[in-house]
Order: sequence, then C-alpha cells, then structure tokens
Amino acid sequence: MALPKRIIKETERLLAEPVPGISAVPHEDNLRYFDVEIHGPSQSPYEGEVHFAVRYRWRGIFKLELFLPDDYPMTPPKIRFLTKIFHPNVDKLGRICLDVLKNNWSPALQIRTILLSIQALLGAPNPDDPLAPDVAKSWKENEQAAIATAREWTQKHAVPN
Amino acid sequence: MEYGTQDEPPYKKRRFFIDPEEDAPTGAHDDEFPHKHPTAVSTVGPNTAPTPVSLAFDQETFESFVGERVEPADLARIRKKCGNDLGMAVNVYLDGKSKDLKKPPAARQPKAPASAPFLSSIAHRSVPESRYIGVFGVEGWATRSGTNLLKHGDIVKIERQKILPPKTARGQTKLGNPQPAQRIAPAAARRIDVIVRFTDSSGRELGRLAKDAANWVSTLMDQNICKFEGTCVYAPERLRTSDTVVLQLRCSLLRSAFFGRGFQVADNRSAGVFDEAESSEERDLRLRQVALVKLFQEINLVPSKANAASAQSQRRGLLEAAELAEAKEKEKPGSTDKDSPGTTPGEENEDGQELEQDQLDALYKKAQSFDFNTPEAEPVDTFAMELRPYQKQALHWMMAKEKDERNKEREMSMHPLWEEYSWPTKDFDEKELPQVLGQTSFYVNPYSGDLSLDFPRQEQHCLGGILADEMGLGKTIQMLSLIHSHRSDIATQARQSSNVTASVNSLPRLPSISGRVGVVDAPCTTLVVAPMSLLAQWQSEAERASKDGTLKSMVYYGSEKNTDLLTLCCGANAANAPDVIITSYGTILSEFTQIASKKGDRLGSRGIFSLNFFRVILDEAHNIKNRQSKTAKACYEITAEHRWALTGTPIVNKLEDLFSLVRFLRVEPWNNFSFWRTFITVPFESKDFMRALDVVQTVLEPLVMRRTKDMKTPDGTPLVALPPKHVELVDIELSQIERDVYDHIFSRAKRTFFANVEAGTVLKAFTSIFAQILCLCQSCCHPILVRNQDIVAEEEVASAAADVAAGLADDMDLHHLIERFTVSTDTEGDSNAFGAHVLGQIRDEAVNECPICAEEPMIDQTVTGCWHSACKNCLLDYIKHQTDRHEVPRCFQCREPISSRDLFKVVRHDDDPDVATSEKGPRISLERLGASGSSAKVVALIKHLRDLRRDNPTIKSVVFSQFTSFLSLIEPALARANMHFVRLDGSISQKARAAVLEEFKESKKFTVLLISLKAGGVGLNLTSAKRVFMMDPWWSFAIEAQAIDRVHRMGQEDEVKVYRFIVKDSVEERMLRIQDRKKFIATSLGMMSDEEKRLQRIEDIKDLLS
Repeated sequence: MALPKRIIKETERLLAEPVPGISAVPHEDNLRYFDVEIHGPSQSPYEGEVHFAVRYRWRGIFKLELFLPDDYPMTPPKIRFLTKIFHPNVDKLGRICLDVLKNNWSPALQIRTILLSIQALLGAPNPDDPLAPDVAKSWKENEQAAIATAREWTQKHAVPN
Repeated sequence: MEYGTQDEPPYKKRRFFIDPEEDAPTGAHDDEFPHKHPTAVSTVGPNTAPTPVSLAFDQETFESFVGERVEPADLARIRKKCGNDLGMAVNVYLDGKSKDLKKPPAARQPKAPASAPFLSSIAHRSVPESRYIGVFGVEGWATRSGTNLLKHGDIVKIERQKILPPKTARGQTKLGNPQPAQRIAPAAARRIDVIVRFTDSSGRELGRLAKDAANWVSTLMDQNICKFEGTCVYAPERLRTSDTVVLQLRCSLLRSAFFGRGFQVADNRSAGVFDEAESSEERDLRLRQVALVKLFQEINLVPSKANAASAQSQRRGLLEAAELAEAKEKEKPGSTDKDSPGTTPGEENEDGQELEQDQLDALYKKAQSFDFNTPEAEPVDTFAMELRPYQKQALHWMMAKEKDERNKEREMSMHPLWEEYSWPTKDFDEKELPQVLGQTSFYVNPYSGDLSLDFPRQEQHCLGGILADEMGLGKTIQMLSLIHSHRSDIATQARQSSNVTASVNSLPRLPSISGRVGVVDAPCTTLVVAPMSLLAQWQSEAERASKDGTLKSMVYYGSEKNTDLLTLCCGANAANAPDVIITSYGTILSEFTQIASKKGDRLGSRGIFSLNFFRVILDEAHNIKNRQSKTAKACYEITAEHRWALTGTPIVNKLEDLFSLVRFLRVEPWNNFSFWRTFITVPFESKDFMRALDVVQTVLEPLVMRRTKDMKTPDGTPLVALPPKHVELVDIELSQIERDVYDHIFSRAKRTFFANVEAGTVLKAFTSIFAQILCLCQSCCHPILVRNQDIVAEEEVASAAADVAAGLADDMDLHHLIERFTVSTDTEGDSNAFGAHVLGQIRDEAVNECPICAEEPMIDQTVTGCWHSACKNCLLDYIKHQTDRHEVPRCFQCREPISSRDLFKVVRHDDDPDVATSEKGPRISLERLGASGSSAKVVALIKHLRDLRRDNPTIKSVVFSQFTSFLSLIEPALARANMHFVRLDGSISQKARAAVLEEFKESKKFTVLLISLKAGGVGLNLTSAKRVFMMDPWWSFAIEAQAIDRVHRMGQEDEVKVYRFIVKDSVEERMLRIQDRKKFIATSLGMMSDEEKRLQRIEDIKDLLS
C-alpha cells in the first residue's frame, strides 16, 4: 500500500523542522513505524541531572515507538513508551493515557502535535486520570516521594547511551 | 429582303379588296421563307391534295389570289367564317395567317446543340454521293389497275414529287409555295404532305406507300437525307387500285445529309432568337429527328457507341418526348418566344420534382469522382498565400477552363447526345459494299436529327464553371488565386507599364467574344456577387491574399452612390481599374430592375450592366437556384467573359437547381430550359432516374469541380487534416437520493417490460415501454425530469410518455423520493446567509492545506458550521468514521459537534474572469454541500466547465442533450456559475437560430452553447467551439458522432475534446454496449421498416433491463 501523502508530508516536516527536544525517525523498512525520543521537560522529574556548576550534565531521554495504523489519520497513531517511566498516566507496558490519543483524537492532529502533548504530559502528570493506579496513588499520597521516585527512574533508565 | 425579288408579293394581291384599316405588313414574313429553305422546296404541290369538301368559291381561284397553296381544312374554316365572300375570305386568310405564323409549331422540341464540334473536318470530296445503310420492308397500295404491272423483283422508283421536280425556282412559287403548308398546324400538314409514290422504270405512278411509312420516308426525302430504291417483294398479278403491294426499300444516306444543314441550324439559332423562321425550322428538325429514329428502328441499325443508357430506351424516350411535345403544343398553341430572355414560358412555372436524399447522394457521389492526378498550377507571386495541393489543382483546372485549354483525356469523350453507327460492310444480299477509306462510322444525334461523319467531341464553350467544394475547403481563396493568376492581356499590359510585377501568362488566351450592343469591356475587372453579409469578408480576404498594391478591390453598393463603373472599369482606364468589384445580390437586383423598367435599355446605365466584365463570380450561388426569381434573372444578364459559380450545394433538392447555375454559366445547349426539361426533367419525373442522372452527370462533369472534406488522397491522407479529436467517457456517480429515484423507476420499467414479454404484448405496448425507458434515461440526467411531461425526444412517444409521467406522479414512493431530492437541492438563500467577514476569513486563510490529508490546495474545500476547512471527501470520511462508531460527529479542529447538513462547499470564483480581478483575490461563495442545486451530471458538467474556464478563460463549449428540458435545468446552474450561455433547440424560429449561432460564433468570452441533439440542421457549423459535452447517450452513436462533427469539422483549428457523461451502473452504460453493436446496423439510414426498427429496439430494451 502506497504511503498516503499526509504521512509523507509529516515525515518530511519532522525531519526538516524538528521540534526541540523531540525526534521521530521512521524505520527504513516500514515508514509507518517511527523511533521516537522525547527529552524530559525542564523543571520536571524527567529532566535529568542539571548541574549548572559542574562539568557535565545530562537530560532524561525517553524512547517511544510510534505506529501509524492504516486508517490514520482517521484513527490516532499507536504510541508507547519503551523507556521505563514512573508516571501516573503511563502504565508498566508504556501505554499512555492521553485524551488526544483516544476520544479527543482528531485527524487535524499530527505526529508532531501528539509528541508535544506527550512531552507536556511529562511536565504535568495527571494523577486524577490514571493509567497506572499504583503510581497515581503514590503521587496523590506523597507527591514529593513520587517525584523523587520519578527522578530516580529517570536517572536509572532515561540515560543516553 | 426586297419585295421585288418575289414575283407576286401577297400584299399586292390585297389591293383587289381594299380594307383601309388593315395594312399590316404580313407579307414581309412570307417573303423570307423560300430563300431560307431551299431544301424544302421539293414538297407537295397544290394538286396533290384531295379535296374533301365541295367549295363555294373555287379553291384554285382563292389560291391564285392569296398567291400560295391553301390547306383545304383552312379553306373550309375560312369559308365558314366568311360565307361565300371571296374578298373577305382573302383578307381573313392573310390576316389570320400572320397570326398563325407566330405560332411555333414545335415549341417543346429540343433543338440541336448550338454547334456540333468535330475533331477534324472531312473533306467534302471524299464523301460518296450516297452510301447504303440498310433495307426494310414497307407496304404500299396501288393507284392503278392492270395486269403484270408489277411483279416480284421489279425495281421501282421511290419518288416524292412527280410533277414538280425538286429545286424549281421562281415560277414554281406562283403555283404552290410548299412552305406555308408546313407552317399550318402540323397534323394537317402531315396528312397532306407525306405522300410518297412508287413508279415503274418509265416513271408511271404505280402506287403510294402506306401512310405510316410514308410519314417519315417523305421527311427523309424532302430534307435530302436519304435516297430510297424499291424492289417489289409481292404484288398481285392482277393489280387493282388500292391493292396492297409489299416493297423492300433500300436506303442510302445522301452526302447532303451530312453537309446540308447541320451548321446552318446553328447559324440561324445564334443569328436571331426572335426570328420567326425559327419555329418552322424547329418543326423540320423534329420531323427529321423522328424520321431518323424511325428509320434506324426499321433497318435495325443500333449504335456501336452511345453515351447514355441503352439505345433502345433512348429512342423510346425520344419518341415519347416528341409525342409530349405535340401534346403540349395542342394544349397551348399560343406560347412563343421561349428563348427570349426575360419572358416566362408557361412550363417554367412548374416546379421540378424534389430529389430523394439517396438520389442526391448518388448524384454527388458521381460528381465527386475527383481525379487526384489532376495537374497543379502555382499561383503567381503577387498572390500572398500558400495554397494546398488540391487548391493548386483547382487553380490549374480553372485556368484551363478560362483559357479553354482542352484536357487531353476529355477531348476524346463523345458528346453525350450523339451516337456512333458503323457503316454496314455488306448489304442485305450479303454483297460487299464499297468502303470509304477512313470512314467506318457515322454519327447521329437522335435528339436533334443531326448527322455527322466527324467525331462529335464533348465540349462546351463556357469559359468558366462551378466550383462546388464543400464548405471550408477555401473556395474564396481558390478564386482569389485565379483572379491573381489569370488576368486579361490588357490588364497584364497595364500592369507591366505601371512597373508592377506582371503575372506570367505563357498560354495565349482566346479573344474576347463579347458582342453586346451598349456594353463596354471591363478587361481588368472581376465582379464578385455575394450575399450582403459576406461583402466585408470578401474584401478582407482579397487583401489578405494579395501582396501590397497588387490587387485593387472595391465594394460597390449601387449606382446611386455616384460611382461611375463604366469609366472606372473600361479598357481605357485599365491602369487604374479595380481588379475586383464586390457587390451584393441586392445591388444586382436593383440595377437590373432599373434597366428592366427602361425596357432593357442598357445604354443609359453606368452600373454593372453597362459592362462586360473579365470575370464574374457568384458566391453562394445557390442563391439563384430558383430560375424564376428576379435575382436569378438579374444574374443571368450579367455579361462577362468568364463566369463562375461558387456553392457548396449546387443542388439543394431539385435537379432544376442545377439548371439555374448552368443557365447562368450559359452552357450550351443545357441553358435552354426546354432542352433541359426534355432530357433531364421529363425522364426524371417519369421515374427514369438513372437516365436523368446520367445526363446530369455528363452535363456536370466538365463544368464542376467538387471536393469534400472527407475525401482522401490516394495515399490515404485526408484532403485537409483535421486537428485531433479526443473523446473521453466521464463516469458519473449518482448521489444516493438520485440512485433511489433511478432504482425505483428501473424496477418499474423492468416489471412492465417482462410482464409484456410474458403476455406477448411487447409490440402493442411498445410506446409505453419505450416511454418508460426514456424516463429511466431522464432520471440519470436529473430526477426532476421524470416529473416533466414535455421531455420527449420522439413525437410518437409523446402521449405515452405523458401517461407514464402521470402514472409516476401517482406513485407515492417515487413522489417521496423526488421530494427528498428537491429538498436536498434547495439552496435558496445560502449564499447570502454568511457574513462577508466569514467569507473573507476563509479566503484569506494562509494555510490552504487539508488538515486531514495534507492535500494542498484542498480538493473541494468544504467548511464546517464552525468555519473549519478540509477537503470535502476528508471531511465526509471523518464524519462517516465517527458516525460508524456511533459517535457524535465533531469538528476536527474545535470539536464542536457538526452535522453533514451543515457543510458548505467553498466555491472560488477564480475561474470567473468577471470577478477574479478583485484586489484581495478571487471572490468566494459558499454552497451547501450536497445541495449543488442540481443532479450529479449537472454538477459534473459545471465542475468540468469551471476547470476549463480556469485554464482557458475564453474557450467556447457546446453542450448536447436529447432532452430540451434537461437543458433548461442546466441553464440555472450555468447562471449561478456566472457562465455566459446561449441556447438552440427546435422551438426556436429560423431567424432566432441564426442570431443565436451568430452570437455564439462572435462571442469573445467563455461561452456555452446548449443545444438539443436534434435541433442542429444541415450545415450547422460550430467550429468556434473547442469542447463538446454529451450529456446523455443516444441509441446509435452515429447521431452523437454527427453532433460532435458539427464542432470537429473543416474549419476547426484546434484539438477538440469531447466528454461523454455516462452514469455508472445504469442504462446509460448498457446503452454504450448497444451502440457498439449498432455500428453494423444501418437503422438510421432508412434501410429498415418501422416494424423492424421496433423489433430491433425491443431487443435493445431487453438488453437495457436485463
């Protein structure tokens, strides 16, 4: 099946004008399948270590996989965290609870906008609409501890190779 | 002629009985006769006539008074009138005779061709005095009684006049001038004149020939054509008066038959058409002609070569024609002067029979056997245009015609009216006959009775012809090339002396033969007569075709404009005379009328009729097809050395149409209507079509050049290559609502049809079934059409269609379906419902990319109720996607709930030149989606037209449909799209039609012509259009092809694109398949009966519905 014009255009634009902190690269053998990396937003537990005075610093980089189904853009892309993340809206399997990926999907949204939404979600976890109930619970009960755990996970898993 | 040359002029005699009121110089007429007809003197004397009535005054006395022999019948008539008053009788006779003289005894008789042209002139000397041609048997009756007067094998002399030897001069006249006898009613004349005696060797009269043979034998003898020698075959031993005697006559043609008169006739004819002698001349001619035909029949001599039909039928026709002439003569004895111009002989009032189309086709086909090997001629260098090869051939032909160069091949063809006969080599008794070296055959014109020893070549003296090329092949250009390439010597000299490049005429021209009194030569000027509307075109073409300063042309509107053509064009002014004068038929007519009102005096005129032009050209010459019209008569009177007629339709629908052209061209002998009538009209009307058409062809062949646009050169390339034509089928998808209507009607029609098939009543119910099919076709075009009743393409179905429509109206389901359609298409007020700022916003939106498919620009941009745009299909897909999941459709941008009823198509008027000039870019408007106001077909048409207008803002298109009511539905859609359109259908008057076509042709902007498939008439020329839209298929593609060819025809300069709109999965698609099959069946050509057509159509319908 020929690749729809829309996908070609989106891919071209993602490569030509990348969003800061986000990259999405299609697989060569399947142009509907993207390797995605999202930088954890600053001032969030997914930011990674930032030592302004020190020699080096690093950011949390989260890998995701993104797949465009056949009826995209009528249906939303399928997207999942590959990097382990401690977040109330992301479950153990990496699935994401985000309205625009579900009911609020609109064909006017794009890969770029979805990835920005996910990045924003990292900056603003929403424990009231959890996908990982245990994470949400700890977030609600003790936010500081939860944030610490999230930071810890970030240091542990979201480290660039 | 002096009276003194005659011994006793009759008017002297009249002095015996002076009648003061009467002094008519009747005698003058009589005077001429004896000298004009020396050969006829051998006819009968007075004493040969039996006297059937007893006379009160003695016949001889009476004859001595009047100075000539008097018919007993006439004498009886005169006596009846005058009693026994001899003096009165003599006066009455002389007066009455002068009237009789004006009577042409054989008015309907064909005349000899003006001259019989011959290849070589055989010297008089080498021809034997007489030459045997055959024998025949006759009966005679004895006038004597006696024994052994005559027995088998006896030679008898055949004599016409015993007492009066032939060629007696003077004194003879007193006793009996034979001439007057011939001038009296021919029936009476024949009764007396024909007596032929046979005598024994000592000159004693033995008897006379039986009347039927004597009738014509006498003529042949009188006119010195034949010599007869008789042998007795059987006679009773004891002969009694009135006994039957059988003789064998041996006939030889006399030398004088060949040289005696043929040319004399021609001379007389050309000398004076008003000559009274003419009529008697004609009668002699007829007698001679009939006699010759009879003789050849009797001796069973058949032509060794004849041009038309078979000799037998020719002769039969000839005798019929002669009888017809006689019959006519009896009906109207008063008609005179049939040759004089301007008068109208009675029979000319009859209209010829119309030609059937296939006859016309056959005729044209014959006339179109154009020889592609005809040599070409290059136009002279003053001619500024390039001629196509076939045009160069025409130029060569025309120059040859004008210069009377004889085409070598044509030279050998025999004159169509002549027949060739071989001289017999053996006589009846198988004895060898003396042969004459170089003379094996002789020639007879059975129509005129002329004989010749020389080969009669077909030739005409017309230095012009008919250029009958089909429209668009460049007749005007070809004539202009002729005007340039062939100028008169005077014109050439005038040009040379004024240092202008002269045309090189290597071929010598025949000297001018204008001989009209009061007419001055205009040796440099060609007169072009054209319809008023073409005058300007002629002048501009003339200028375009000529290098600067090489051709002076002027348009002439009539003498009252102070134009003095006479001084302008005369030879003395050769250097400054216009080369071309262009004028209208109206001008010709008005000048003609002026001159006619002055009793034909041309002297005072300084206009067209005062000149003898070098050349006259009648453009659109079918304008004079009615020879009775004043215009035609006016055109006949134009004098010119070369005469040309241009017309694409030399025969409109009657053979007589052609006559008028031939008359204009002055082609002898066909320009004589009675001649034409005898050999063309009469055979044609008596259903002898082939003979008539054959003759027409021989008339046309040397005169006409005709090429058609579909002709191909021998190597298969068309004469003129047309630009390519591209036909594209456009699939139309019906909207669901339309489809519902269609399906409904389809199942109904199918039900009806197969019910009828089962009941075996298909033929009976044919019209109603057919009407239903029509309905079905209409529903493919536009559901509303189904409700209309005035939709019908074929008359016979009209009432049935109305019934069906009525039936459909009762059908509530259908009613509902159509209602749904009308509701969905009701767009009123939509375009005004949106604020200007909304439209502006949409228009100014920077992004014109579809947010859904990323197409840029959007395909059929459509906005939601919340003013968000996407491609129409993307949006509809998305809404469908949501509703399929039982979700409320929401806007893809703002997630407002949306409904498919609230979608609007954005119509950008960027294709519309009237509004595209606005500073902020093209105007846009919104149109409720699915409510394009019309059917799928109309929407598709408008879309095609919009796309077309965007790329070609001034292109013109033609839209064909078989349903005029469908055209009416297309109109508002065109109006909404701000497209200029005109319309042509059968309901429009002829005048309005012309106006519509003119408007379409002249329109400089994007224009659509809506035209019903059947409205276009013959010759409709729509070459100014470049696109054709066929809205619905017809049963046979031939009809559609014809329609397309109105655009794709000669004169079309660009590629033509044809779009045929066909609804997918419908009867229309099946119709295409039927069309394919139809290519083999000639239904439209009238080869099938109505019944067969119906059966065929039922087969078609079965295919459509199964």
